[in-house]
Amino acid sequence: MALSGMRGLSVFISEIRNCQNKEQERLRVDKELGNVRTRFKNEKGLTHYEKKKYVWKVLYIYMLGYDVDFGHMEAVSLISAPKYPEKQVGYIVTSCLLNENHEFLRLAINTVRNDIIGRNETFQCLALTLVGNIGGREFAESLAPDVQKLLISSSCRPLVRKKAALCLLRLYRKNPDVVNVDGWSDRMAQLLDERDLGVLTSSTSLLVALVSNNHDSYWSCLPKCIKILERLARNQDVPPEYTYYGIPSPWLQVKAMRALQYFPTIEDPNARRSLFEVLQRILMGTDVVKNVNKNNASHAVLFEALALVMHLDAEKEMMSQCVALLGKFISGREPNIRYLGLENMTRMLMVTDVQDIIKRHQDQIITLLKDPDISIRRRALDLLYGMCDVSNAKNIVEELLQYLSTADFAMREELSLKAAILAEKFAPDLSWYVDVILQLIDKAGDFVSDDIWFRVVQFVTNNEDLQPYAAVKAREYLDKPAIHETMVKVSAHLLGEYSHLLARRPGCSPKEIFSIIHEKLPTVSTSTIPILLSTYAKILMHTQPADPELQNQIWAIFTKYESCIDVEIQQRAVEYFALSRKGATLMDILAEMPKFPERQSALIKKAEDTEADTADQSVIKLRAQQQTSNALVVTDPRPANGAPTMNQLSLVKMPSMSNVDHNSADQGVTQENGTLSIVDPQPPTPSNGDFLDLLGPLAIEGPPGASVQSEHNLVSQVESSSNAEERLAIAPVGEQENTVQPIGNIAERFHALCLKDSGVLYEDPYIQIGTKAEWRAHQGRLILFLGNKNTAPLVSVQALILSPSHLKIELSLVPETIPPRAQVQCPLEVVNVHPSRDVAVLDFSYKFGTYVVNVKLRLPAVINKFLQPISVSADEFFPQWRSLSGPPLKLQEVVRGVRPMSLMEMANLFNSFRFMVSPGLDPNPNNLVASTTFYSESTRAMLCLIRIETDPADTTQLRMTVASGDPMLTFELKEFVKEQLVSIPTASGAPAPVPPQAQPSSSPTALSDPGAMLAGLL
Amino acid sequence: MPVAASAIYFLNLRGDVLINRLYRDDVGGNMVDAFRMHIMQTKELGTCPVRQIGGCSFFYMRISNVYIVIVVSSNANVACAFKFVVEAVTLFKSYFGGAFDEDAIRNNFVLIYELLDEIMDFGYPQNLSPEILKLYITQEGVRSPFSSKPADKPVPNATLQVTGAVGWRREGLAYKKNEVFLDIVESVNLLMSSKGSVLRCDVTGKILMKCFLSGMPDLKLGLNDKIGLEKESQLKSRPTKSGKTIELDDVTFHQCVNLTRFNSEKTVSFVPPDGEFELMKYRITEGVNLPFRVLPTIKELGRTRMEVNVKVKSVFGAKMFALGVVVKIPVPKQTAKTNFQVTSGRAKYNAAIDCLVWKIRKFPGQTEPTLSAEIELISTIAEKKSSTRPPIQMEFQVPMFTASGLRVRFLKVWEKSGYNTVEWVRYITKAGSYEIRC
Repeated sequence: MALSGMRGLSVFISEIRNCQNKEQERLRVDKELGNVRTRFKNEKGLTHYEKKKYVWKVLYIYMLGYDVDFGHMEAVSLISAPKYPEKQVGYIVTSCLLNENHEFLRLAINTVRNDIIGRNETFQCLALTLVGNIGGREFAESLAPDVQKLLISSSCRPLVRKKAALCLLRLYRKNPDVVNVDGWSDRMAQLLDERDLGVLTSSTSLLVALVSNNHDSYWSCLPKCIKILERLARNQDVPPEYTYYGIPSPWLQVKAMRALQYFPTIEDPNARRSLFEVLQRILMGTDVVKNVNKNNASHAVLFEALALVMHLDAEKEMMSQCVALLGKFISGREPNIRYLGLENMTRMLMVTDVQDIIKRHQDQIITLLKDPDISIRRRALDLLYGMCDVSNAKNIVEELLQYLSTADFAMREELSLKAAILAEKFAPDLSWYVDVILQLIDKAGDFVSDDIWFRVVQFVTNNEDLQPYAAVKAREYLDKPAIHETMVKVSAHLLGEYSHLLARRPGCSPKEIFSIIHEKLPTVSTSTIPILLSTYAKILMHTQPADPELQNQIWAIFTKYESCIDVEIQQRAVEYFALSRKGATLMDILAEMPKFPERQSALIKKAEDTEADTADQSVIKLRAQQQTSNALVVTDPRPANGAPTMNQLSLVKMPSMSNVDHNSADQGVTQENGTLSIVDPQPPTPSNGDFLDLLGPLAIEGPPGASVQSEHNLVSQVESSSNAEERLAIAPVGEQENTVQPIGNIAERFHALCLKDSGVLYEDPYIQIGTKAEWRAHQGRLILFLGNKNTAPLVSVQALILSPSHLKIELSLVPETIPPRAQVQCPLEVVNVHPSRDVAVLDFSYKFGTYVVNVKLRLPAVINKFLQPISVSADEFFPQWRSLSGPPLKLQEVVRGVRPMSLMEMANLFNSFRFMVSPGLDPNPNNLVASTTFYSESTRAMLCLIRIETDPADTTQLRMTVASGDPMLTFELKEFVKEQLVSIPTASGAPAPVPPQAQPSSSPTALSDPGAMLAGLL
Repeated sequence: MPVAASAIYFLNLRGDVLINRLYRDDVGGNMVDAFRMHIMQTKELGTCPVRQIGGCSFFYMRISNVYIVIVVSSNANVACAFKFVVEAVTLFKSYFGGAFDEDAIRNNFVLIYELLDEIMDFGYPQNLSPEILKLYITQEGVRSPFSSKPADKPVPNATLQVTGAVGWRREGLAYKKNEVFLDIVESVNLLMSSKGSVLRCDVTGKILMKCFLSGMPDLKLGLNDKIGLEKESQLKSRPTKSGKTIELDDVTFHQCVNLTRFNSEKTVSFVPPDGEFELMKYRITEGVNLPFRVLPTIKELGRTRMEVNVKVKSVFGAKMFALGVVVKIPVPKQTAKTNFQVTSGRAKYNAAIDCLVWKIRKFPGQTEPTLSAEIELISTIAEKKSSTRPPIQMEFQVPMFTASGLRVRFLKVWEKSGYNTVEWVRYITKAGSYEIRC
């Protein structure tokens, strides 16, 4: 850099570097800052060279982490220096020290602009870099058109155009609403014809950003992307400086393929064919070589190609080719390549019909479970988990179980959880499932969470056939010398419940069972003892009439624990002791556990919670959703059961018995109950006043047919529409499925949005819909912001616009899914054809979890949005007013039941409707005259005049006269204003009975007065 | 006795370990890295002397260009630890001949290790008295007991001295000329509001002695303090002489002072250790004579200009003078240019501490020099209000002046051989934190 000439700067830097410690450095910096301050303050002014030097110093100090709050002015002023070295410093320091919100940047905008539109290309580059780096809103607003011009100008050097493309990309990413990309599709297509690969690469980046936002208008770019790929991959038509280890510009290839993935699909068979040809070539041509860099580049291209193949749903042959390729990768020697192969294979699982092909590699994958690299082992586990289905479940689960005993401790918990889930989902028969889980507990007891054994207990309880088998198994495990505590819990519970089923077998008499369980008592923790106590009680119950010896033994235990410090144990001991004295009635009290209500596996839920939201894991989730567990508990749901939400393992219905050790399960129950009550399809009791209120605002947005119908009914429109509302309000109650309550009043939100351009249209606990609108003459652009408020994605999102005849509305594609905590923008183009008060309705629906929400929302594209305030002088007003004489061009109506408001308020209201209130035009201070221009396709610009005469004595009524050159417009406008004046929702909505004494032209004044002229005209 | 340290580290300003000693193994050897990472290299350095990181407590203090860090993991006695550090430093100083800095440590590694072994055992502080330690940790060669030549003087017996009645003084000292030096050193702490009212003011003083006396002398010191004078007048049953009596607070004595006699007779009598020691410390909060008055006026003229006028008035006797007077007037951080006019001394702007520094080498009593400065500020992007104006600080030394008014009335030396002694008495007042708000 040009530091060589600046001795002071290099001396300063070397001094800083030589500082022994932080303190010395700080002292030196403070001294230097003092010096720089003095210099900058110098009246004589600095030469450009000196300024440059000190600004460099300031930057250096700033980069060391010290606060610098001066010198920005000098830095910005250097931008306008004539020579390159100074200008460069100015640009660099400005982009480092200032951020986009800084006021100083305003000073720089003009200079930057001059540099951009100037002829000097090095200056252009500097300026573009600054704009790209800072990229604030103001910059975007004022400079984006110039940057766009640079990008497409043919006179610029490629270097400048390259930077312009990147700069535009940054601006667009930052402020997509500011950068105007309308009509850019053609230009983008042109840009993609570019020969220079540098420019092409940067414009492809830009294309990716544009297409990711809205692919519809860029269909013309699709063939160009394919052409680029052909040029690079097939023809190898690349200058040598753009090849990287012999690969023709891998970056461009990747970008082109990425752009293609944003288009939903490719229909054109020719394009498809040529694209597949290219992909085929990439798939075939990639090989693993020695050179790491070359491998990286070629694999980047390859994996992007794989993604594209998956995206395009290629024919099976190609898919199998991909899988074969990945299979080769998996068996590769390089760990990185093995990892990539596994990861991409997990991605491939998303495509439905390749699973069989993947299954061919199952053995290979299983061996990878023993890979020395843990990240590879994890990937292999994920892949196995993902590819498991009924056909290979037994195999895979057995492998997993085998692997469990040698697996890394860090992986065991995940491994056991996954094995348990697979066993549950794909169990060919239930006894196998019980076997697997018991083995699992035996092998990795520490890593088996409570949920897993709770699930086994659920299964066994709900399946009578399984009970003896499970009891036998449990008994067998108890014979082992050392067993895990979880195993003690399971076996104790199972034997307590079902040991009587095996009473005939050798070694299974109640006494023996008791003694073998009791052996374990001294070794277990306090959380297990309550379960053992329950087991004892159950054994005692099954041996009625009691064997006195056994009974005494058990009673002795109960008495021993009666004074236990643990409340749970103590309570059980006391209660069981008392109950066991009841003799034969014990049979009823301690009857077998009732069956559990069917519920979602807590395991799967847990697995979903623990999984990070990476691509491959979301695949697994997707599959988990597709395949319903075929081993799900077969149970007869017993709604008649007195206490269906009873604690899982408590013996009798005892509200006081809070099972400490089953807390997690209990939580599961309550959670599910919680969701159940929401999911509950029964609508809340109708004929409830609150409920109707709640639906009221929803129902107003009913089908537009109602309002179209009411349009014909000119006379009693207000009444009829309100009738329609009532009718509609009743109708949806039956069919309304969503019980999701909107937050805030939808109608109020709509009214507020009629008066302003941005705000919240709708909100409920899951989604927030905001709008932002810009209106120009008869056109408008309305952006819907769909914000997901949850951590789970919203799916099946659909938005439909039901537009009335007078509006042409075009909605861009709404994505199917809104990712968690993300906001999606959907632009809407609105064109007004002719005046009408009808509103467009947005029919919006989405699915969250199990329930569907459907709302119909009025869009705030109302008549007043197409108005443009215009001020009219008295000279213009009166001729106009006079020329529009009488109906239908000029309509007058006395409006009653007006919301009382002062003249001031009314003027403000009219201003917010985009009328220009002209004070003093009407001599009567109680009157109000306003003017505006209305735009539509049929009427073009049309002047509208309005006059309101109020009565200071009675603010609830007024007389309104509306005039315009179009009868329809006059009528619609009058009705609109009337509605607004009357129906603005306030508490005092009840229209007071107004005495029917309208006062037609009640102000007798001299005719020379303009007011009198006005009155005469009326 | 609580634990004071698990390990002690001596670091230089960069954070390199100069020397360290682990006393207990409950802290890892790498804990000092944590200190370096989380304390030294952050802005918190110097804000709080006790920090806890990762279950360990770090007590640290800086002495010249050395950080002394004590690491403990148990619940230690912090005061004890700091006292230990201070005492250890005085011990090192007495061994190194006055200086304690990075170079001194580097030059005396072996000696320091030896001392560190001796002054603390398993985290418990041991004898830190230089007189005793010097008996057996010596810097010269030691004659072997089996050597043929008889020793010139008897080998000093450390055990006897430590366990004897006068543990701090060796028997059989002999000087040709018997001299006693006594210094009263006071430092004045002041905080004054901008209107001139005293918000906080106190004096901390200490009496330093240097004795070169033969035998086992008994000394008796008389001051013009209130308790001593009252007791004396009571004993001699005659009224106190007119004149000021001083009320001393928080008096602490060296261990050589006979406390029983102090309690009964209110006189300070003692058998002094040989050489230098600090006889007593005290504090005075009332009746303080302030040596200087500072009258600042600071005007802000617009956003980029300031005018500072400071007048300093010396209020001690006209014949006395202060030395090394420094007035530090804080100015805003964005100061760009300064212009001074002073009636005496020299002033300059120090950007590193954001102060105008006005130095007057010799400052006679009953004078009032002034400084007037024009300051130009540079405009900044962050428009901060100048409400945070730190106080003006002052440094000085006034010989032969005590802010408390304390005077030595007599210093009597009694020894059985009855030699004559020469007594020297000095007074000096220094600035502690002498701050005037502006």
